[in-house]
Amino acid sequence: MADARDEALALAETAIALLRDAGASDADATVTIADKFACEARDDEITKLERSRGRTLYVRAFRGKRRATLSTTDLSREGVAALARRAVAAAEYVGEDPHAGLPEPVESDGVCDHDLFTVAPDVAERADEAKLEEALAMERAVRAADERIVNSDGARVRDSVVSWALANTRGFRGVTQGSQVSRAAAPVVRDGDDKRIGHYGTAARGWATAESAQAVALHAVHRALAQIGARKPATMRVPVIFERDVAASVLGDLFSALSAANVALGNSWLADRVGARIGNERVTLVDDGRLRGGLGSSPFDGEGSPTRETVAVEGGVLRTFLSDVYWGRRLGIDSTGNAGHGTVEETNFYLVPGTGTLDDLVASTERGILVLDTIGFATEYASGTYSRGARGIYIEDGAPRYAVDEFTIASSFGAMLEGIDGIAGDLRFDGTVVSPSFRVAEMTVSGS
Amino acid sequence: MTALDPALLSRVLARALRRGGDFADVFFENRLTQAFKLQDGLIRDASSTVIRGAGVRVVVGQRAGFAYSDDLDEAALLRAAEAASLIARDGRAHDAAVDLAPVRAPALYREHAGEPADSARYVELLGRADVAARAFDPRVVAVNAFVTDELQDVQIASSDGRVVTDRRPLVLLGVQVVARDGAQRENGYIGDGGRTNIAVFDTVTPESLGREAARIATVKLGAREAPAGEMPVVIGPGGGGVLLHEAVGHGLEADFNRKGTSLYAGRVGERVASDLVTVVDDGDLPGERGTIAVDDEGTPGAHKVLVENGILRGYMQDRLNARLMGVASTGSGRRESYRALPQPRMCNTFMPAGDSSPDEIVGSIERGLFATSFSGGQVEISKGDFVFMIAEGYLIEGGKITAPVRGATLIGNGPDAMTKVVMVGHDARLSHRSYTCGKGGQRVPVGVGIPTVKLSSCTVGGTGRG
Repeated sequence: MADARDEALALAETAIALLRDAGASDADATVTIADKFACEARDDEITKLERSRGRTLYVRAFRGKRRATLSTTDLSREGVAALARRAVAAAEYVGEDPHAGLPEPVESDGVCDHDLFTVAPDVAERADEAKLEEALAMERAVRAADERIVNSDGARVRDSVVSWALANTRGFRGVTQGSQVSRAAAPVVRDGDDKRIGHYGTAARGWATAESAQAVALHAVHRALAQIGARKPATMRVPVIFERDVAASVLGDLFSALSAANVALGNSWLADRVGARIGNERVTLVDDGRLRGGLGSSPFDGEGSPTRETVAVEGGVLRTFLSDVYWGRRLGIDSTGNAGHGTVEETNFYLVPGTGTLDDLVASTERGILVLDTIGFATEYASGTYSRGARGIYIEDGAPRYAVDEFTIASSFGAMLEGIDGIAGDLRFDGTVVSPSFRVAEMTVSGS
Repeated sequence: MTALDPALLSRVLARALRRGGDFADVFFENRLTQAFKLQDGLIRDASSTVIRGAGVRVVVGQRAGFAYSDDLDEAALLRAAEAASLIARDGRAHDAAVDLAPVRAPALYREHAGEPADSARYVELLGRADVAARAFDPRVVAVNAFVTDELQDVQIASSDGRVVTDRRPLVLLGVQVVARDGAQRENGYIGDGGRTNIAVFDTVTPESLGREAARIATVKLGAREAPAGEMPVVIGPGGGGVLLHEAVGHGLEADFNRKGTSLYAGRVGERVASDLVTVVDDGDLPGERGTIAVDDEGTPGAHKVLVENGILRGYMQDRLNARLMGVASTGSGRRESYRALPQPRMCNTFMPAGDSSPDEIVGSIERGLFATSFSGGQVEISKGDFVFMIAEGYLIEGGKITAPVRGATLIGNGPDAMTKVVMVGHDARLSHRSYTCGKGGQRVPVGVGIPTVKLSSCTVGGTGRG
């Protein structure tokens, strides 16, 4: 795959030259070349088969302190040149922003993708045939696992190798590569007159480190069966346990509140809280761009800053926001190596795990709810209100009693972080935002 | 470049079908988007985006092979066709030649633009929205506004011998306001536009959008915690149509029904809602955000009656699912870009007017919730459970709308909620044009609409007690 890296870097260098020709005083260009494979099996046959190479160019162009961006999938020289002229002309209409501009050049610390194990060799080595066979095997495993499984939305196997290069007019040149594989299954169980789907998927840098196809199939089946006979719980205030995938979605909302961009725009309930206690001593939140084999690991971020490990919340105290160079300048902090393309992005963001298992959390809960899935998403970053539709298991005397659905769980992020009274040790880096399962001492459950 | 050479498309289709297949198509698009963003009273960013490339698909029964290319030379397109053809490797080869006859999509968009407007106009619109939002209330502490102007040229060539072209404009002006009172922060958002050019903002003024976003944010500053539990709920006209989109619409998309994963599978002709409920999906309302003159498979958008007086009439179909279900496509095959396979999707989904007056509806409730608008929603397709986040909502007490509430969600079950529709207002209207729907990782613009509607009971998720 060395050729894709070379091609990406050459295209990025061409782009900044064209931007200079169009009148930009400074520019940086990112070229991404993604080789992707995806297949889906359903009913004993392969129902989807996709293989493509996609190339995308993203450029930030500056005219002094005025910034414009462009992105295109047309990487022809003429196409890029025309868009460069358009972007530079549009920059005339942008206000002068004292914080705009490329990062100051920094000495590379010499870390490369090889050191971070971002490419698993088994991805390029594995034949398509084996992946098709695996998807079919997962679909068979799902349907054979239990007689109540009557249907399936398909089993999916995917992989990709993404090469990306960054070049800027201050002399930065960087190129890196990462692989990713994923497996997912979606069995449908019949429950009287109802149907219920269980979804489960996993991802990793390579096949050898990913959860096995059999484990994924069985986990999905377990999730489907766990919903059988679900009823609406009573409205009450009780402890709520977040199973690790659902816990990860809560962490995604916390990342948004920690993003310097949202903070600077007044769109975060954490604004003005650095140095303050925002949760109890169990809560430590880390963003680690250098995690070995992490799905978000990279030697440098989207604008060339070295990535690093940042403890954003330590023992419940907010230490720092997560930032790129621009939003950092606006808040008066350094970049934490979290530049995406025009946004602040997580690298590998997680809640530091405790000990014990999800079962231990359940066993130590007198009466409460184990949440296995939520629906709905956050929009209320400014107020810090948390409210989601949910389904899961009702717990009494430390044991799971029956499935529950059609209810909401609600609180505020602040109260939840203060109320976390148990964190399991089941953290797994199968995404870029991950969490161990945890329990919040009290939340509002709205049902009947 | 706004189209590929038909002779080249013909050769690509022939290559795609060389291992067999029921049909093949090539979707080419060239989309230019110009956007400006305002924060803290300053234009902070201008962005120009081109999405250009072609996707090749081969369909065999329920199987689809797919590959795309951003490189548009013949060798690259034939490589994509070859990769897509692999799905049909056990199939019988076709006779190669595909003759293509050109078809032009009907004109449904207002004032086609060939190029984005002068940049100064976008900047002026954002400045006006900003000033109006700040002038609305001293508690407004931040205003973020953006405008996007997009023009998408699509060309769809199919092995059934048609090559269809369409030119789709789309504009959106969005204003987000943060208001603050002491430690409390609340936000308000509104956007509008549609399949037209930025002249629409002469009528839908940026001032009105700025004030509306500020109004929503400041109303919430004085709001109480939302109550929790079951109660009667009134859905406000326009934006409340998100309810139909989530509670009914997704469940009627053909893929879920063909595969039997939707709760509505196999139920055409059955009662699925109270007899007051009619639900329509319409791709051909001029200028609306969800409007498409042809879908992304080249089929004209249609007026589809999904539910009529409570009876399920049919599903929204794309070509693959329509073939398998033995019906015609309803022009619902949509894709996010040339990099994705089409899926059956909604266009503009709405409920026509009923007989009740809005006052009569609110007046019928002793204690309940009025949901003016939603900030988002989601549905689980197999059982139909849905959730909506209420962007603006009020208590109903003694038959009157009283205090605003914040942090409320609605949760329920689609089919169950549809049987609980007990009053439908005569004030049907479409929402402001700002909704985008996500499905299977693909986002497409949609429209929603509804009159004032009463649900006899729904679960409200909040943190307040009673």
